[in-house]
Amino acid sequence: MTRRGMNDVRVLVISAALVYGALAIVMGVIPGRVLSMTPAGPGVVPLSAAAARGRDVYVGEGCSYCHTQQVRPLAQDRVWGRPSARGDYAYSTPQLLGSERTGPDLTSIGTRQPSAVWHLIHLYQPRAVVHASIMPAYPWLFATKDRAEPGDVTVAVPPEFAPAGKVVVAAPSAQDLVAYLQSLKQAPLPKATP
Amino acid sequence: MQDVRAYVGPPGGRGVAEDARILSAFTISATIWLLIATGVGLLLSFKYSYPDLLTSPLLSFGRLRAIHTTGTFYGWASIALVGCAMYVAARSGGTAIRLPRLAWVSLWAYNLAAVIGIAALDLGLSNGSQEYREWIWPATLLFLFAVVTSGWVVVDTVAHRVGHDIYISNWYTVGGFVFTAILGVVAFLPWYQYGLGQVAVQAFYMHNAVGMWFTFLALGLTYYALPKLLNRPIYSYALGVLGFWTNLVFYPVIGAHHYLFSPLPWWFQTLAIVFSVGMLVPVWAGSGNFALTLRGRWSSVRRSYALPFLVVGIAYYFLGSTQGTVEAFRSLQAIWHLTNYTVGHSHATMYGFITFIAWGAVYALLPRATEKEPPQLWVGIHFWLALIGVTVYVGVLSIAGTEQGLTWANGDPFIASVEAAAPYWLARAVSGTMMFLAHLVFAYNVYVMTLAPRRAAATPAGVIA
Repeated sequence: MTRRGMNDVRVLVISAALVYGALAIVMGVIPGRVLSMTPAGPGVVPLSAAAARGRDVYVGEGCSYCHTQQVRPLAQDRVWGRPSARGDYAYSTPQLLGSERTGPDLTSIGTRQPSAVWHLIHLYQPRAVVHASIMPAYPWLFATKDRAEPGDVTVAVPPEFAPAGKVVVAAPSAQDLVAYLQSLKQAPLPKATP
Repeated sequence: MQDVRAYVGPPGGRGVAEDARILSAFTISATIWLLIATGVGLLLSFKYSYPDLLTSPLLSFGRLRAIHTTGTFYGWASIALVGCAMYVAARSGGTAIRLPRLAWVSLWAYNLAAVIGIAALDLGLSNGSQEYREWIWPATLLFLFAVVTSGWVVVDTVAHRVGHDIYISNWYTVGGFVFTAILGVVAFLPWYQYGLGQVAVQAFYMHNAVGMWFTFLALGLTYYALPKLLNRPIYSYALGVLGFWTNLVFYPVIGAHHYLFSPLPWWFQTLAIVFSVGMLVPVWAGSGNFALTLRGRWSSVRRSYALPFLVVGIAYYFLGSTQGTVEAFRSLQAIWHLTNYTVGHSHATMYGFITFIAWGAVYALLPRATEKEPPQLWVGIHFWLALIGVTVYVGVLSIAGTEQGLTWANGDPFIASVEAAAPYWLARAVSGTMMFLAHLVFAYNVYVMTLAPRRAAATPAGVIA
């Protein structure tokens, strides 16, 4: 029996592939390619080596599932900084804009909260610094020791959250992550010249 | 010729036993992933209320979150729908599943992909924590291999059908395989997407993974199971074709509505909103077509244990997808974007729609294939636990998301949004518990329909009432 047109399964497969393939190029590949070439905005610089390692920790621990890195041009987002601009993301691969804001936006956390001490305590036990926080604790980014050794970065965890009789020391991964968080700042947009 | 009732099994039962084994194996695999992925989801839901519950790297929120989503997407829903799609291709074509060995290879590939992808995520290895494409490349490559091989099985089975016309179910399922193979290549080739460009690709990918894969497979199964169970032809073949083409053309354009108010070009976002409105055409064509097929046959729904799942799936397809259109408007996204409202929506669609259709298809096809009926009481318990669970889930997260968005708009300190949502998160954990219990019951029913010894009183002919 002859099967013509869409009743030939080859025609069905090929026409579906052609239509979707064209749409995938127009809506996926071309926007992706064009926007990938967006130049860095003024003052937007690549991460330091430590911050880049910290960004990998941020990705691996899934921080972006609860923290966005995009400031919308809306009144309620002014608290996070100026609206994000295209040039802000030139060095952000993988992109970490996020889709949920269960926790605060982190676009400018390095400006809002510059203290490494605060970040380390907060990562070790968020509820030690923000009582109502529901952020997970990350004790595996730290080591507990009987006493600190030279060169250790000790963390001043409040006594009720600290292991009894031990000191908490930041592992390199925690220090890298804090370096990344401290690097998250918005470059000021240049003023319009008259 | 577009009446599936015209098609019966292959003459002489050739391959029917093998078809039943394939459908059973896909369903069992999928069910195991359902238990794993939603067990993880349940733990996550309790972590919102008890953040210090089970603090350890392997059980931490940030790692398990992606395991829950990719596990339900690519473990549970994909494997369940693909197994049914193979079986439907054979039954609607009056033949047996072609290339059964390739079908088994694809099943192993789906499972191995999920094992690798999920284990890597638990060790903190991800493809950039971008939603639904978190699996590292070996897992993704295996998954795409599975899509291509299982798609090949379906296409070859359709090519060897007895009748002349390709039944509308197979348009949808064949389309799903073709689109997803292309989508996978576009999304996972890393060498052209950086920074904001990757955001654009993510917008395209994340919505197409849902709409060009799960939606097409689920609609295809509904176009087979619904008329079969009702013993009447689908209301309109033309509406089915309209839905196919409009879904194909509109869906790829709407992804950027997930990035409204982002630095993506403003016109690009507007285009996504316009096409989100266009999505009402395939959604209403499809759900309307199903509703008109059901018209006047509610007594059949009461008597069947598979039909209620399909009816809920169709209702959530209509409600969830229409909600998606409304949600895409800027005025509403200004409040709901980035809140739990979106999580509620994704459960209305991926659970209320996709998962209920998968269950309806399994209950429609599997007992007939294996000649083992599940206990009707336990199917009923599964149905009500899952339906009440997901409806409460979507309801409380919609309220939680609205509260979050309003506290932000009100200029309250951020922590106020956490405190406002807290009671609803606890309610979500309770409804999530109901959903997980439903999955345990479903797993038992799958066991009865497959591995368990045949009960003496079984009446296989009564399944398709």
